[in-house]
Amino acid sequence: MALLEVRNLKKVYTTRFGKHQVQALSNVSFTIEEGEFVAIMGESGSGKTTLLNILAALDQPTSGEVLLAGRSLTSIPEKAISAFRRDQLGFVFQDFNLLDTFNLRDNIFLPLVLAGKSYTEMSARLVPIARTLGISDILDKFPYEVSGGQKQRVAVARALITHPRIILADEPTGALDSRSSDELLGLFGEINRQGQTILMVTHSTKAASHANRVMFIKDGEVFHQIYRASKSRHEFYQNISDTLTVIATGGDRHA
Amino acid sequence: MRNGFYTRLALTNLRKNAQTYYPYILAGSATVMMFYSMLYLVVSREVASLNDSATLRTVLGLGVWVIGIFAFILLLYINSFLIKRRKKEFGLFNILGMEKKHIARIMLIETVITALVCIGLGLVAGILFSKLGLLLLLRILELNAAFGFELPLRAVAVTTVLFGAIFLINLVYNVFQVHLSKPIELLKGGNVGEKEPRTKWLIALSGAASLAGGYSIALTVKSPLAAISLFFVAVLLVINGTYGLFTAGSIAILKALRRNKRFYYRTTPFISVSGMIYRMKQNAAGLASICILSTMVIVMASSTVSLYVGLEDAVRTNYIREITVLVEDVNSDEQVEQLKNAIAETVEKAGHSIHNPLAMRYVSTLTVQNGNAFNRAGGTGNNRDLALLMFITAEEYERMEGVSAGLNAGEALVYCMQGKIPGDTLNIGGYSLDIRGRVESLKMLEEYGVLLDRMFTQSYVIITADEQDLLRARRALSGDETLSMGYRFQYLFDTKASADAQLRLRSDLKVMLGEMSVPGNVEGREAAKDEFMSVYGVLFFLGLFLGALFILGTVLIIYYKQITEGYDDKERFAIMSKVGLSLDEIKRTIRFQVLSVFYLPLVMAVIHIVFAFPVISKLLAVIKLYNVRLYALCTALTILVFAVCYAMIYGLTARTYYRIVR
Repeated sequence: MALLEVRNLKKVYTTRFGKHQVQALSNVSFTIEEGEFVAIMGESGSGKTTLLNILAALDQPTSGEVLLAGRSLTSIPEKAISAFRRDQLGFVFQDFNLLDTFNLRDNIFLPLVLAGKSYTEMSARLVPIARTLGISDILDKFPYEVSGGQKQRVAVARALITHPRIILADEPTGALDSRSSDELLGLFGEINRQGQTILMVTHSTKAASHANRVMFIKDGEVFHQIYRASKSRHEFYQNISDTLTVIATGGDRHA
Repeated sequence: MRNGFYTRLALTNLRKNAQTYYPYILAGSATVMMFYSMLYLVVSREVASLNDSATLRTVLGLGVWVIGIFAFILLLYINSFLIKRRKKEFGLFNILGMEKKHIARIMLIETVITALVCIGLGLVAGILFSKLGLLLLLRILELNAAFGFELPLRAVAVTTVLFGAIFLINLVYNVFQVHLSKPIELLKGGNVGEKEPRTKWLIALSGAASLAGGYSIALTVKSPLAAISLFFVAVLLVINGTYGLFTAGSIAILKALRRNKRFYYRTTPFISVSGMIYRMKQNAAGLASICILSTMVIVMASSTVSLYVGLEDAVRTNYIREITVLVEDVNSDEQVEQLKNAIAETVEKAGHSIHNPLAMRYVSTLTVQNGNAFNRAGGTGNNRDLALLMFITAEEYERMEGVSAGLNAGEALVYCMQGKIPGDTLNIGGYSLDIRGRVESLKMLEEYGVLLDRMFTQSYVIITADEQDLLRARRALSGDETLSMGYRFQYLFDTKASADAQLRLRSDLKVMLGEMSVPGNVEGREAAKDEFMSVYGVLFFLGLFLGALFILGTVLIIYYKQITEGYDDKERFAIMSKVGLSLDEIKRTIRFQVLSVFYLPLVMAVIHIVFAFPVISKLLAVIKLYNVRLYALCTALTILVFAVCYAMIYGLTARTYYRIVR
């Protein structure tokens, strides 16, 4: 069984007085297996953000279904949705979304505190994650005292600490310089190798080239997808780049 | 044309910031109104024509000062809040190509508009309200109001100039704020990553010490006289302590809570405590101000209300009979008889009769006490050592108390009203008396009313065997061996006549004393009631007026605090809900956080009040209100009413807060 299954997702936004309808997603279906690292690419307005919001249970689809480990997101009652999000999903945002009021350690602990875990358990969970991400030394600092790359690694730690089924990353390298981006993508690859499923939405060809599979979204549909398989990163990069050119110049779909 | 553009822009800006600007305009207008109304009462001809206008105007003039200073602080505070929130807006103008002088121009126009609206509205409301205020004042003083309308231009001019100046200061401050910052800083505005505040132990400790000092003064003050001089010291210490504790102490406490891992790492404390630490730096001063203001409102309202309510009671305790005739320097029984006859004659001539007469003779002198030694009070010396001595003879004592004194020459009975006399001898200016015994209660004091002034830390009644001993003691004290007895003779009686008749009789008696050319005075309960009324009444009026103003200030400070916090928290809660905080948890957290921040100042204010209670009841004794139970009741009621008001304010502002955060 696939970890994440998206079936015929459709999302239509209606303006306030119902005069205009905008179709953000027309018909999206795909599956993600446990342990995959998938990148979703697409231009601005292609429906990427809408898709991610629905996957994150922040938004409801007009029709269609999202199943996480066989459980439909729409079937989860409103009251349990926050707990579900906290326990099953991990988020990494473009602008980090760390809280200035907490030091980095407490920022990472936040979802566990919300889940009511004890301090001892939280600390125990943090140790290996912080080591992997190379942030053990800066845990007592505050967000405004560290660099963007460090902030994003803390955000990744916050996403990982709940042992989520899947990590949803929204343009994680969007606010980073190229060196920090490389480091972060390297880390994504590493946690993925440790078995973590990752779904990343990105603009960047370089970021996408770190994934195992890249899906391209255009006009609210999955337009195309390619697998890295045994290709080197450089080859895969070329591959993605070519596909993007084809899409941009209005080429036909080829499966 | 171009001017029109700036004006339009300024107007749009004001409308866009309505949520924060309307309360500012409200605050401006309200303070203008109150300032004008109070000033009106001071300069108004109608008040000037009243009997006690000098005292009245002095007290009201004090009120004008208080309102002026308060308005200044309040408007400056709100303005600094407004400009902080608007920095981003001005930064945008700057980046879009507007020079700082253009921005200054917009701010000038905005300020002019705001000032015109505030002063205009405030004056119109003030002119309407001032007549109402006058009627209220006269009603409280139980005086008849004259009809007519008065518009003192001087009051209008003073109000306009003062508030014009306040708005000008605000404008200058704003222009400097924008001028000093770079566009990029302006754009970032409020949300620059602020450093976590460090615990300032020195300030926390000095705050605690200052508070302890203020409290201990309040608790240890013995006499009303000392209370007057020390009260303001205590107030200043407590204010200083409150600010110190709120700014530094709160952070120390919150950090201690954070170190307690089992408490801290749970949803509500986790979010609230961290948020409170973060914002304490900017909000501690606000909280301390709210605390001080609340204390002031409660103290003012409770004391003035109890004065007003306790008026009748106070007059009765101070004047146990309708008429009191006091004559100084009486030396013989013949003189006493002569006076009594003259009084009786005058009363009869007025068509009344004497009921329940009470006559007493005593000598009272102010001395400096040192153990069991008493010496003449000189120009210097500490207030605390002052002791009032009242001498009566055994004969007088037996007559009044109905018990035998059983004294031999050279012996005395001692009654300590306040203070202690150690040992078993008295040394009065070198003249020594054996203390034969100590009297536990004195009818003449307890039932016949207040003869002994309660102003001093020490006051005693000394009963001597005979006049010889009394005279010796008196001479020894003064160092003048030729001094005569010099009793104060006091004759109290009721007439059962009407209030007006009593007032007339009092002046008749005064005339009589004048004709006999004896030094003395006649006091009447009715006359005293009028005097008390003019003091208590105007204080009550001032209490109501300033109470309303301070409540307004409290409301506004709380409102702006909530809004600031709302904007601060909006982003935080958005992030946390993304990470998995549910709406219910958000609500619960907000409630906990807002409630604790809200009630902190109130709880502190109540603690202040409890400690201030003894010293304020002593201060009330200075203006002759001795009914501590009445004052306690009024204080409790005031606190209750205030807490209810406070809860309402909380409800209203918390709603605004939810709306912003959600």
